[in-house]
Amino acid sequence: MKFIHKIAHLFTPRESNNQKAKLLHNSSLTLITFAFIFYQLIISFVPRFGSKILGFAANISPDEVVALTNAKRAQAGLSALSLNSTLSQAAQAKGADMLNKGYWAHVAPDGTQPWAFFTDFGYKYRYAGENLARDFSSASSAVEAWMNSPSHKENLLSGKYKEIGIGVVEGNLAGVDTTIIIQFFGTKYADTVPAVPIAEAKAVVEKPVATFIPTMAPTQVITTVEVAKVLVSPFNVTKSVSLGIVGLLLFVLIIDGILVSKRKVARIAGRTFAHIAFLGMILAIALILKAGKII
Amino acid sequence: MKSMAKHLPHYFVLFGLLLAGILAFVLFSYDQAFQMIVAIAVAISYVIWGLVHHSIHKDLYFSVVLEYLAIAALGLVMVFSLILRT
Repeated sequence: MKFIHKIAHLFTPRESNNQKAKLLHNSSLTLITFAFIFYQLIISFVPRFGSKILGFAANISPDEVVALTNAKRAQAGLSALSLNSTLSQAAQAKGADMLNKGYWAHVAPDGTQPWAFFTDFGYKYRYAGENLARDFSSASSAVEAWMNSPSHKENLLSGKYKEIGIGVVEGNLAGVDTTIIIQFFGTKYADTVPAVPIAEAKAVVEKPVATFIPTMAPTQVITTVEVAKVLVSPFNVTKSVSLGIVGLLLFVLIIDGILVSKRKVARIAGRTFAHIAFLGMILAIALILKAGKII
Repeated sequence: MKSMAKHLPHYFVLFGLLLAGILAFVLFSYDQAFQMIVAIAVAISYVIWGLVHHSIHKDLYFSVVLEYLAIAALGLVMVFSLILRT
């Protein structure tokens, strides 16, 4: 009986809680906020204690990334990019470099540009581009994310590129197991220089054009990722808890609003409907947001 | 409900703000910094909406201000956590 009273005190407006569900009191809302921050701190610190629970499990095939990229190009009326194994090796090396040096950027902390990987593998380019993605669970979600970003889309749908190379690496980045997709675009310098009789040829030194930014990495060969281990995604656990809290608060707000309206209780409080609308927006945002970063 | 019908234009403004927030999250899914700015802007707008609405309604009290601040802070903490973990 005592338990039922406690539940009613927490979720419904009554005399014991001054006609407002205890969960909706300012003290309770502040407590929930601090508990959520504490929970986030735990998620952030767990990997530092050597735990391998958190991470992003993925199953991404480079061939699928190429096929999806070419499908997008075809939709835009562009020619398909041909897969170049040298570019793929360079992309793979870039990914290994990011994992080895622990960075997530186009330019390495030591200043190495992405284009260094092109040339290190003997790919002399006229045009070069790089798209990066991490923490995506599938190739399609990564390609869609690139397509939603104007600058990445520009690379994907650029008529300047003729070839593509894909690297998919799996490893630990900032304490979290992750999968990184490296998409290299390029057009060989030789492909853009017209065949000119030697006698007429001039020594033209044209600067290579590179969009977006890529270091020679130690030979850590990482192949297509087929993750079998069960990992708890930090994003997914945050999302689940957020949805749970918002869902519960919405439920209590609706119950509270109905009972207060029915009983015609006059109280000093915010507008229940406004709170429902705001938390509804938070719920929608939590549902819209998906795991995965692109640069 | 009566209060809501009486101040319908107020609620239209609030819904407009919140819908604009959702739309910005969808359209700028690639720009995390912008999403964070949008989240802050919507949370501040929500609190201001509450202040103005209650002020007009002549029932603006300190505890009411704290209530809007507490809900806005909770929402903001959640959205920031999600954006930073994507």
